Amino acid sequence: MAAEAPRTAVTLMIDGRGITVPKGTTVYQAARSAGVDIPIFCYHDRMPPLGACRMCLVEVQKMSKLQTACTLEASEGMVVSTTSPAVRAAQESMLELLLINHPLDCPICDKGGECPLQDQAFRYGPGRSRFIEAKRDHAKPLSLGPVLALDRERCILCWRCVRFGEIIAGDDALKGFERGFASEVGTPRALPVESKFIGNTIAICPVGALTSRTYRFRARPWDIDPVASTCTYCGVGCSVWLDVRGGEILRTRAREEPEVNDAWLCDLGFFGHGYVAAGDRLTTPLVRREGRLQEASWDEALDLVAERLRASAERGPGRVAFLGGRRLSNEDASAAAGFFRDVVGTPHLDHRVDAPPDGASLGVSWGLRSSLEDLGRGDVFVLVGCDITEEYPVLWLRIKAAIDRGASLVIVHAKRLEIRRHARRELLDRHDRLAPLVAALAADETVASGERVHVLLGRLAMDGPDGPNLLRSADSLVRRVNGTLHIARGRGNDFGAQRFGLLPGEGGMAAPGILQGAAAGAFDLLYVAGSDPATAVTDGAAWESARSGVGFLVVHEAFLSETAQAADVVLPALVLPEKDGTVTNLEGRTLALRAAVKGPGQARADREIFDLLAARMGVVRGHDTATRIEPVARIEPAAAGAGASPSLIVVVADRLFTQGSMAGRCRGLIELAGTAHCLIHPADAARAGVTDLGLVEMVTEHASVVVQARVSDVTLPGQVLVHRGYDGVPVHALARWSPAPAGVEVRPVAPPGGETP
Amino acid sequence: MPGLLKQSIALLRGFLITGRYLFRPPVTVLYPEVKTRVAPRFKGRHWLTRYADGVERCVGCELCVIVCPSQAIYVRAAENTPERQVSKGERHADQFQINMLRCIFCGFCEEACPTGSIVMGQDYELAGYSRASLIYTKPMLTEPYPGASGRDPGREV
Repeated sequence: MAAEAPRTAVTLMIDGRGITVPKGTTVYQAARSAGVDIPIFCYHDRMPPLGACRMCLVEVQKMSKLQTACTLEASEGMVVSTTSPAVRAAQESMLELLLINHPLDCPICDKGGECPLQDQAFRYGPGRSRFIEAKRDHAKPLSLGPVLALDRERCILCWRCVRFGEIIAGDDALKGFERGFASEVGTPRALPVESKFIGNTIAICPVGALTSRTYRFRARPWDIDPVASTCTYCGVGCSVWLDVRGGEILRTRAREEPEVNDAWLCDLGFFGHGYVAAGDRLTTPLVRREGRLQEASWDEALDLVAERLRASAERGPGRVAFLGGRRLSNEDASAAAGFFRDVVGTPHLDHRVDAPPDGASLGVSWGLRSSLEDLGRGDVFVLVGCDITEEYPVLWLRIKAAIDRGASLVIVHAKRLEIRRHARRELLDRHDRLAPLVAALAADETVASGERVHVLLGRLAMDGPDGPNLLRSADSLVRRVNGTLHIARGRGNDFGAQRFGLLPGEGGMAAPGILQGAAAGAFDLLYVAGSDPATAVTDGAAWESARSGVGFLVVHEAFLSETAQAADVVLPALVLPEKDGTVTNLEGRTLALRAAVKGPGQARADREIFDLLAARMGVVRGHDTATRIEPVARIEPAAAGAGASPSLIVVVADRLFTQGSMAGRCRGLIELAGTAHCLIHPADAARAGVTDLGLVEMVTEHASVVVQARVSDVTLPGQVLVHRGYDGVPVHALARWSPAPAGVEVRPVAPPGGETP
Repeated sequence: MPGLLKQSIALLRGFLITGRYLFRPPVTVLYPEVKTRVAPRFKGRHWLTRYADGVERCVGCELCVIVCPSQAIYVRAAENTPERQVSKGERHADQFQINMLRCIFCGFCEEACPTGSIVMGQDYELAGYSRASLIYTKPMLTEPYPGASGRDPGREV
């Protein structure tokens, strides 16, 4: 720090206009702030300048050569011209040179109509070329995975995509290869490209070199009606444009929102809209007759539900329970909470369908304890059982930016995370032994000296065998270092469901209690909306006995999910991109949803269904009766004496791309999800005789499944890792709710039909 | 008196012209039994032309869609596959519709077309009994064989 007061502002002349900007501003930024247009290709305002494309050349008095405006820092008294004859000539030359090898196949290029190269060639280009030689010839398009296509002929080597992977995402998904004339962009490892943010490179590519394979040739910019909405997958609540043509969402783009997603999206958001137009959407109410679900009219279905609700009320209060909320909007959640509390009169509501009874998830309210922006200003991040790139990818971009500014990352996990090379410390142990690692962190120099320590406690930690202990350790850690404890738990609009009252009321049971109560016959009717408990409840047997113990099951669904298949009445629901309303993200921010497309058939918004039911129950409801309740924080003591730990345990981890009901219906994403598999550590694999890509049988106390094994040190010795959201591994069948880790035996299976190459 | 003579002469001169044309062949034809030839650059109904080898010229770029002042054209593009190479390159028009009720026959689409696919032919008999029948679809617009539209299939654009 200099003792003398630094000059904080400089004044320069650009095209004859005096402009005052803060010191450190580049000439390009100064010009843009004054509304002077300088053409660019390689510069992107979220990344430091590079000066590779030479498109932004300007003339500066007293400088002998033209300068690149994007790299030149504005200084006092500088006189800049962006329109002098020398600059014009340079711009024409640059474009003529850039177009030497550009194929000019705009008519068949997806970027046509929204292409910076096209626009600038029209505006600043010479209009003709002196080069008659044959252009560079590459095979095209090159598929770099299920969602990304590369056309090397069109690439102008601006390096935006490469630098995005280096600077913003930190995954180095794309790299430059070769030198000089032969330079090209490619993947550093084998195909497909390994990134969760590759959609952003498509968005920032200034030419049509990187294009989306799912949007390929489906529309032109002038065909599209963009709808400003919010992504509803992971709970970060990224702002998006849903591009609609002919009643179908064709692509999703990031909408700039500096406080939430900045300018970025993850690939789940980018390519996750296909489910809306899936062919197997439910279009009419279904009612079970003679043991089968059959189509019915809305009146018939609603009358039946209302009659059952009334019949239950006659038997006594509180004999109805409600589960779900993740896929509901705030308005739907509020209508559901109001309906069940005030009209039906039951306190048994819960959106936390996937929480086990003995973990830490039920005791705390979910979400961040600070805004995303505050989180991004942290100087120490501790991820405890939180696989951030799989669970909240765009949140990772904020943490990555903080790390680049000098923050430290500490990972406590049962698995080697893909972001481990950005971590200052990585503490790994088996899933049931993580709590001592967290407790020991208080002695860690970096954590102890951190000024703004953010501890993110994830699902793997909270729902694990040691959840309550981990929560306590993390809580005492943040108290010790005066940090913030974030509960990185919940997806979709879980946070809205929590905020608008889909939580047990006074004397009400939480989700596991509701299931146990249902199994014991405490309920006449179970109502499910915005959730699929048949696959989401981590103890599959608990769901099955709940289903058979309850007389009547009503489900709102967009698809015939496993829960819907078991229901007595299925009411077709709109999905979130079809509804106007709001959602709440994990920091508690209210974000707007806009109906992009119309729903199929007779599907209705959940809110409307609850209002129709209320009317049948004799109550006319408006939409503004939201009762906000704060969840009661209570930390249950951990169950003592978990017993001897088995030699191998099952750990269920989250993955960004799965075969779930939404992502599993999106082209591109389903390929990214791949096939179901389990991860086994090389040491365990050698002991059990398991080979990579071979089939294994996983036998737990409760079930056995045959699944492909991947031998990998991503997992740790002593644990077999499986992922949620795959049909091939019904994780809810493998284990039961239990405070002890679930033991598993793994044995290789000879593939049927002999050897596979 | 001289005035009356002058008027009579004028009257006779007029009848003379009528009488002269009375013995000439007529310029009108008995449409629709008889049809005339239209000018070579007449802008009639559209054709989607093919190259001489039968491959479609249209690449589904939608430039005609954006240039059309009456928004009469709808195009939905799709990708060529090795098994189904509809046009040259990667892209072809999967759907191509022109609403002949909207079309004002300005010829901008023909001018905008980068591959010379869309041309305006000589056919002007475009009436119909329903609105739906006047939305021309891709099978109706595509030349049945190269050159069927009257344009040289070997031309470059």
